[in-house]
Amino acid sequence: MTQDLRIPSVPRGPKIKVLVNGREVVAYQGETVLAALIAAGRRTLRKSHRRGEGRGPLCGMGVCYECLVSINGRANQRACMTEVEDLMEIGVDDSKDQ
Amino acid sequence: MIRKTSDVTVVGSGFSGLVAAHILAKRGLRVLLVDENVRMGGQLLRSLPRSGGSSGTGGLRRYGFCLIDLVKKESIEILNRTKVLDVDEQKVLLLEREEKEILSVESDVVLLATGARERFMPFKGWTLPGVISTGAAQILMKGSGVLPARKMLVSGAGPFLLAVAAEYLRNHGKLLSVLDRGGVADKLLLLAHGLWDLPKVVEGALHLAVIFMARVPLHHRTTVVEARGCGELDTVVAAKVSKDGGILEGTERTYRTGCLAVGWGFTPNIELPQLAGCALEWDGSMGGWVVKVGEDLETSVHGVFAAGEMTGIAGALKSIHEGEIAAYGILKKLGREMDSNRLGRLKRKRSRDLRFGLHFNRLSRLPDRAFLSIPDDVIICRCEDVTMGHIRKAVNEGYDTPATIKRALRIGMGNCQGRTCAPLLYDILSALTERASKDIPLLSARTPVKPVAIRSFLE
Repeated sequence: MTQDLRIPSVPRGPKIKVLVNGREVVAYQGETVLAALIAAGRRTLRKSHRRGEGRGPLCGMGVCYECLVSINGRANQRACMTEVEDLMEIGVDDSKDQ
Repeated sequence: MIRKTSDVTVVGSGFSGLVAAHILAKRGLRVLLVDENVRMGGQLLRSLPRSGGSSGTGGLRRYGFCLIDLVKKESIEILNRTKVLDVDEQKVLLLEREEKEILSVESDVVLLATGARERFMPFKGWTLPGVISTGAAQILMKGSGVLPARKMLVSGAGPFLLAVAAEYLRNHGKLLSVLDRGGVADKLLLLAHGLWDLPKVVEGALHLAVIFMARVPLHHRTTVVEARGCGELDTVVAAKVSKDGGILEGTERTYRTGCLAVGWGFTPNIELPQLAGCALEWDGSMGGWVVKVGEDLETSVHGVFAAGEMTGIAGALKSIHEGEIAAYGILKKLGREMDSNRLGRLKRKRSRDLRFGLHFNRLSRLPDRAFLSIPDDVIICRCEDVTMGHIRKAVNEGYDTPATIKRALRIGMGNCQGRTCAPLLYDILSALTERASKDIPLLSARTPVKPVAIRSFLE
């Protein structure tokens, strides 16, 4: 339980799983997609559209649009404004190539 | 398109919106409460009551959750996950709900309570994944019970740094250091001015105690100058700052960390009042451009009220008091009875709240020199990858207003619609062209103020 970034003392909703780029990742109901991704150790979520640089979350409250991921096939969803659901398919672009 | 009507539409379910909606509904008005988030509560609550994490603002949070329960018991129509795309001078709102349907709402009165966002000070590498805002760090902890990282460094300006640092430590994160651009003297001055507001002083002292007990170094007149890493953050370079805001060469030191939380205070979300045609005013000591309101919190547009951080950054208590003042103002407007003694008391409380805001914002404010020293290769508009060099070149070529620079460079035209870069652009232009901030004309807000899927209009 302590290997991820979840704070142990915090009571959580039921354990579920989400699919990040097709791989199963543990999540808990009530947390945001962003929190689940951060807890799983991910920092890069997308590429900037002009330079193709890796980007991750900045504001965490729906303002900056830096945490855009695809959710259940819909592109450009804010990870920080969406709560996880069981078997939700999340697509992040963390490829190293520019 | 679905059409709705209401007596009062409240935009934003943070403290102001909740307090106002509750009072107005209790008085029998038909209230519609709109919020973009999944849950009510705004940025201060932002969590399930049970997943609190460890936070320094327990009392306020308990009050907030009670308020949410009270609001749920009233016959208030609550629209969560709903973006406001437009509001016009006739008070007609255009909404997109749950990314699937468009609604049009007509109301007698609109209360705007859309809060604030963080201000940023760009530095080399600030776009690297791993650099997050202090607000994001806090929301991850209290909203979802997740640490932003095992190890973290906090940098920026103002008292909010201490709150985030203390919360991270309480949750057993490994905090390397807190770097505040301001000086110790500024903080002491705040303390002297702040003695009238004992709870705030105690709150600050408790944060400091947590930081000292953990033996985490707190460096003043120090700022991050560069974030480094191959694709993601791994090293932060910080340096000392002179009294006039310049970086002191030769004082650099490095920190190995995968996470840097940065914050330079807050600025009001003014896009909706702009669209509604509300007059704004520049007040640097209140967080920048704020909505101009009369003493009952009505804006310059008849029937449009504003409450909370958007009338000036001053924290949760001001938002609570303003929610109540706005509710009474709205009752008065609609010809209903209300307790004018209570209103008088609230207005006195509000002026005390504003004094706290004054000091808070002063500690977060950056000097012109800071903006002038941003290197050319630093990105300012993160959506469109526009750099400081692009802006300098445009200014040298004669572009001197935000609107002309936007047209020339596409700055502020991306997904966030300038929410991150516009306040920066105003500060940069003010510094580069040596004009007062109030003389820099604002970018206009345009419908839709948030990106919306075309599909929503088709269904």
